[in-house]
Amino acid sequence: MTGANVLVPVRESVTLRNTVAYAVDSAIESESESPPTVHFVFPLVRRAVLGPPPDDAEELLGRVEAWAEEDLEERETDVRVETAFVGREEYLFNPGDYADVLARYATEHGVETVVLDPEFNPAGMTPLLPPLETELERLGIDAEIAPVERPTRRFPIMRRASLGQFVVLFGWAFGFYLLIAGSLAPFELATGAISGLVVAALLWRISLSGFANVRRLAGRLARMGLYAPYLLWEIAVANVQIAYVVLHPKLPIDPEIVEFDAAVWSELPVTTLANSITLTPGTLTVDVNRRQFTVHALTTETRKDLLDGGLERAVRFVFYGRSAARIPSPAERNAERTWESDADAESDVAENSDSDAESGADDDSTGGENA
Amino acid sequence: MTPREIAIAVLAAGGVFFAFVAAVGVLRLPDLYTRSHSASKSDTLGAGLALGAVVVTFGANLSAVKALLLMLFMLITNPTAAHAIARAAAEEGIEPWTRDDGTQTSDEEVER
Repeated sequence: MTGANVLVPVRESVTLRNTVAYAVDSAIESESESPPTVHFVFPLVRRAVLGPPPDDAEELLGRVEAWAEEDLEERETDVRVETAFVGREEYLFNPGDYADVLARYATEHGVETVVLDPEFNPAGMTPLLPPLETELERLGIDAEIAPVERPTRRFPIMRRASLGQFVVLFGWAFGFYLLIAGSLAPFELATGAISGLVVAALLWRISLSGFANVRRLAGRLARMGLYAPYLLWEIAVANVQIAYVVLHPKLPIDPEIVEFDAAVWSELPVTTLANSITLTPGTLTVDVNRRQFTVHALTTETRKDLLDGGLERAVRFVFYGRSAARIPSPAERNAERTWESDADAESDVAENSDSDAESGADDDSTGGENA
Repeated sequence: MTPREIAIAVLAAGGVFFAFVAAVGVLRLPDLYTRSHSASKSDTLGAGLALGAVVVTFGANLSAVKALLLMLFMLITNPTAAHAIARAAAEEGIEPWTRDDGTQTSDEEVER
């Protein structure tokens, strides 16, 4: 299955040496007329690096190149090795962003196969997002995880955690218990401590992803304080509208599914926006795939409100500050897409693709049953 | 009645009203997606207003804090549940009801 040219994204990891060897081997073994090339690329992560790449990245690429040369010296082949940086001047947040960058590089350099280091996990542990290999295959690129031994296999939802996180989580749980108990009697202190310990022991590796930047967090919380009343007001207004629609004798609804690309990035803002959309009556987030929202809107007005982007703007304001609020609304950006039958939209969910295809074929009958 | 009692009555009445709307919506709306609109959100506001009445009744003490926390958790969990249901439906391939389906059905009914 391995094509002639191979692309390997690299980052510091314990299995990297073996992955390099595997990639070189698979390039050698591929039978093609033109001499194959192994590309090692270093994705520059999460910051727009405008100057020269960081030294450790240069050093890592140099080391990888030396390893590859070492493997090649033992054989009589004309495999070429190239190294590069990708993702420069871009923010890479989730596996999808990485897949996009890698796919672009692959197309430019005629690469058919991406070999992934099993420990290559640039976006961190994100149980809600499809993994990098799925994203790559969605873009039509062959992705393969190098079958190399790795020392330990972690649960996907667990993260590396420090004792500090345990203490913080315990503190939160204990404090919350005492708040609910409403007293500091020895009994409450004891039971609270036990409960807090149980909670912290179970969840310390899941719930906190690390220590936040306190100043940025404070700014976000302050803006969240402004956002909450706005959201509550929106909820109230929209609820009155929906009450009118529901109680109206003719039931003037016109439900439709809208799909649009929201101008929010990274997990927490996307989650906040999705939940806010759902909370605002008349709109219901059906699915979120990276930044692409699938929203069910009950009436024409709610659909228009959604695409006018008031909520989206507010969420951007909370997470990125005032300047980000000025990005044009989804309607102005033409971010809306026509919703096709979910057979296409959900094709990456392998188990369901069959049932989706069936229902897509006879959508009239399904609608009839519901009515 | 004191202003506080009026506030409590208004909040409680609002809660009952929106809970009623939610129930009517579940009965009247045509399909899963539209029903979950009604079930999740009118209901959230209904329960929220009822809890608001509770807060005003208790005044500033621990019970009020607990009621506020309940509100907060409902604001987080209700839309999440609605989203989970809608998403499961979408992945099962259930097509949303549209205006066209409605006219089609009523035509069929007329024919019968």
